[in-house]
Amino acid sequence: MTTHAATLDHEMSHEEAANDRVMFGFWVYLMTDLLMFAVLFAVYAVMRESTVGGPDGAELFSPGLALIETLILLTSSFTCGLGMIAARRSNKTQVLAWFGITFFLGLLFLSLEIREFQELIHEGQTLRTNAFMSSFFVLVGTHGLHITSGLLWLGTILFYVNKRGLNAPLVRKLALLSLFWHFLDIVWIFIFTVVYLMSFA
Amino acid sequence: MKETQHAYSPTKEHNPTASYVIGFVLSLFFTLIPYSLVVNKTVTGNVLIATILGFAIIQMLVQIFFFLHLGRGPKPFYNIVFFVATVGLILVTVGGSIFIMNNLYSNMSVTDITTKLAQKEGIAQIGDQPTGACQGRLQNHQVIIKDGVMNPATTKAKRCDTLTISNQDAKDREIAFGEHPEHSAYGGEEEVLVRAGYNKTITLNQTGEYIYHDHFEPETAGFLIVEP
Amino acid sequence: MREFLIGKLSGRALPHEWFTIGGSIAFILLVVGAIVLITYTKRWKWLWNEWLTSVDPKRIGIMYFLVGGFMLLRGGLDAIMLWLQQALASGSSQGYLTADHYQQIFTAHGNIMVFFVAMAFIFGLINYIVPLQIGARDLASPFLNSLGFWLYVGGVVMVNMFFLLGGEYAATGWLAVAPLSGTEFSPGVGVDYWIWSLQISGIGTTLGAINFIMTILKMRAKGMTLWKMPLFTWGSLCSMIMAVTVFPLLTATIFLLFFDRYLGTHFFTTTGGGNPMMYTNLIWMWGHPEVYILMLPSFGVFSEIVTTFSRKRIASYTSNVLGMIGVSSLALSVWLHHFFTMGAGANVNAFFGVMTVLIAIPTTILVFTWIATMYKGMIKFSTPMLWFLGFVGLFAIGGMAGVILAVPPADFQLHNSLFLVAHFHTMVVGGVLFGIFAGLAFWFPKLAGFRLNERLGKYAFWCWIVGFLMAFTPLYVLGIMGATRRMDHYEASTGWQPFFIMALIGGIIIMIGVAMQLVQIIASIMQRHLLADKTGDPWDGRTLEWATPSPPPSYNFTSIPAVSTRDAFYEMKLDGGFKKVYEDIHMPKNTASGIYISIFAFLIGFGFIWEIIWLVVASFIGMLWCLIKRTFDDESEYTITAKEVKAREDAAAKLPSATKSRIQQKEEMGLIEFIRIVLSWAMSIVRRKR
Repeated sequence: MTTHAATLDHEMSHEEAANDRVMFGFWVYLMTDLLMFAVLFAVYAVMRESTVGGPDGAELFSPGLALIETLILLTSSFTCGLGMIAARRSNKTQVLAWFGITFFLGLLFLSLEIREFQELIHEGQTLRTNAFMSSFFVLVGTHGLHITSGLLWLGTILFYVNKRGLNAPLVRKLALLSLFWHFLDIVWIFIFTVVYLMSFA
Repeated sequence: MKETQHAYSPTKEHNPTASYVIGFVLSLFFTLIPYSLVVNKTVTGNVLIATILGFAIIQMLVQIFFFLHLGRGPKPFYNIVFFVATVGLILVTVGGSIFIMNNLYSNMSVTDITTKLAQKEGIAQIGDQPTGACQGRLQNHQVIIKDGVMNPATTKAKRCDTLTISNQDAKDREIAFGEHPEHSAYGGEEEVLVRAGYNKTITLNQTGEYIYHDHFEPETAGFLIVEP
Repeated sequence: MREFLIGKLSGRALPHEWFTIGGSIAFILLVVGAIVLITYTKRWKWLWNEWLTSVDPKRIGIMYFLVGGFMLLRGGLDAIMLWLQQALASGSSQGYLTADHYQQIFTAHGNIMVFFVAMAFIFGLINYIVPLQIGARDLASPFLNSLGFWLYVGGVVMVNMFFLLGGEYAATGWLAVAPLSGTEFSPGVGVDYWIWSLQISGIGTTLGAINFIMTILKMRAKGMTLWKMPLFTWGSLCSMIMAVTVFPLLTATIFLLFFDRYLGTHFFTTTGGGNPMMYTNLIWMWGHPEVYILMLPSFGVFSEIVTTFSRKRIASYTSNVLGMIGVSSLALSVWLHHFFTMGAGANVNAFFGVMTVLIAIPTTILVFTWIATMYKGMIKFSTPMLWFLGFVGLFAIGGMAGVILAVPPADFQLHNSLFLVAHFHTMVVGGVLFGIFAGLAFWFPKLAGFRLNERLGKYAFWCWIVGFLMAFTPLYVLGIMGATRRMDHYEASTGWQPFFIMALIGGIIIMIGVAMQLVQIIASIMQRHLLADKTGDPWDGRTLEWATPSPPPSYNFTSIPAVSTRDAFYEMKLDGGFKKVYEDIHMPKNTASGIYISIFAFLIGFGFIWEIIWLVVASFIGMLWCLIKRTFDDESEYTITAKEVKAREDAAAKLPSATKSRIQQKEEMGLIEFIRIVLSWAMSIVRRKR
């Protein structure tokens, strides 16, 4: 057998070893992203009371909307997982269907978030208002940006799946994307808890 | 590419769909419970915060296990190590920041400290900013300095009244409290410089009887009685 | 319209002060000179195909060295300017720099030395050596590596860009502390240049670090378990793990500062509930581990050198590795010692003080393992070993100063003084830079095919160590006398001037040392046939990199050796070497995507600095386009068949022995010899002209 890099697991083929490395590397990247979020959470935790006399979270946020957003994202994470199972079974139609639903739910989530932001801005609460609002907009907005880039990425992959068929590199990209998507779901759970629920506690 | 598919497949023995369904149902469950706790206010305060944080962590573990399949890939060891280390580091980052910043806030909030100190000492204003030690000014008293004489020589006032010293001579005056040459501070002011032709107003926030004089010409002096 | 097209740019942004004009001219001359030289020698195609688009970690490593070396000279020039100002500006003399200019220079000096010199050399060494040491043919993601390098170059260009446009760099200190770096106090573009040069290169660092972690953990030769890895690889692994854990913190923090400046948020402002202290807290969470990110590979270099030149195994491999792991884990929880005096209570200060002092334990263990390795060894005092010994001395001095600073009550007296400046220079120059120099001298034969001139290397070392002690010992004294750091003028009555003059002289001696290093490289190139390393193993090395020819072929190993012990190559030599087996080799294709993406990243930064929004948007789209093109390109590898490999190796073996050099010598040249040769060469040119 020709081994490219005779790694510890010499029973792995060249492609398998490459896949294993990429999946691991992406996992490490996710961890770095998590640490970036940690900074934003730390800033939010430190500044959530710095409203300078302005309204606090309990007055501004709506727990119902946050719950709906959470459920949407959770469902999209679930459909993303089902899409991944279809991808492993090389079922192109199902892949397009499940990931299509994921894409749509992500878009829905994003539009709800943008609406929430618009309402806050309409009430005069912008990211310039005070430190609390700055940290809220940046924390939630960064998550939203991640969702946006996830959608762009997913859209591109689906475009190529449609064009090239479900080949091994694309399945690998779908696997990476689903990791990313689940990861964003986990980050959102903490935003839901720390930003929204804790404002009412 | 059969082998390749194996490399992706984290759950060779398990039914993968079942894993996602279980994860999804559990996640729904762990989202709705804290939500209802918060909305119905079943518990409150720190207990509530601890509870909902606990649910968030449980849900994270559920998703890590059922969605991300951490620990079930072909070679999970390093992934687990990195995940655990990251969680530890997040605790250090967030916990450390809160620990340090709370400590700094309590020690270092400059305006808070000065205000508290000023209120304790009864200092009504620092610079031109009122500290809040005097609530509501009552009456303004005037002392005019002309030809080296203070008029009126004795001023009677209540605490938190204001005193305006008006210097109508052609030279600067530095009004000091107490006997010359030993001065004492009054209301946070050591010496009050009143330039030629200008006025200066101070808040009378310390009760008692005081002599005050021009530090350059000690014979130019007045008497101040502040009653509570 | 004009504002839309070119944002804040205007004629006033062009250079108009002596230092920006000088810098611009130097910058332009360099670029034009390089272009002329390449065009004249018709090397454009070669440069593009063989180097710039290369994904070979060995080539990228050498490019890191070249850019890093250039930036070392650039940062060194800053240092000399600072020394000169301090030696002059006493009493009625104000020196030759304005306060503002002085502040910009020390900021630039710090940024350049940490981000663009030390990081570059460390990444260069890791790029070149780690794949060879672990028996890998390339990195886990060669493209990411190339991208990381080009993002670093983008940062380098950005940090020098202010000469040409804007005319000011940040005057805030190397960490741009808030609220000084906010728009209220720094309205100019200096801080924006700071933000984007660090942001671009910092993201490159994160990507590079992820790549090395993947490589080290997943691509080791068969049989090389974690506990059989060479110590330099261990140091690199620890360092890279720290890099991926803290560089995201830096990126996030700088983004928050950026939001404060551009979007008017209130994170680190003095108004609107913002808290500048939070900035200090976050930036040091990255800043302290950063020092160890630089230090740990350096520790690894010293371990390799001590074992090789003492001709012994490392005294206790396990303690050495655990020491490095201990240093890296403790380093993540000590950041508050950089701001003991900011006002935290006694409990907080005590906790972080104790954590800091604890770091001395694993560090001391490391030093003891090296000393114990030397004990009863057959030590050869070659240049790398001299750098190591210099390091041990300086590290002990700096470390003890560090323990003093780690005690909060002492820190209250010494913080922000020149004592601190002397301390961290002792650590970073003694620990990091000496490690880099030692590593370069040690591995130079591997990457060039010939050794460095030992005599001149020793001159350079002695200049460095004497110059360093002369330059920084006075700073310890001055610090205790009360001289604060970042001070561009002082009263004559302080009596500090003699110390500052002594420091300047020390600085000049260091510069002579740097010149000596340049002479050493040139002289070695002149005598490359005499110094040639034909075996690939000039030092009787112990680890796998010495099993390859010097310089190694692009695929590193003809066949990947199987490893069964530590010091794998040494054991193999005892067993009679290993056999070559020819096999098909998969290699990554060259790619220019990294360059394009980096150019777009640079333009995004540039657009933000000058508020040219269309440029930001366009560059962002361009960057996305490149990324998509690259990631969906499945044809990124090619195969060299076993036959081709054999043909190449045979051709290399048959290569005619080197043509006779013009300079015939039996021994390595010294300085006088070098000057004589250069002079006679210059004379011959003059004569020919006549």
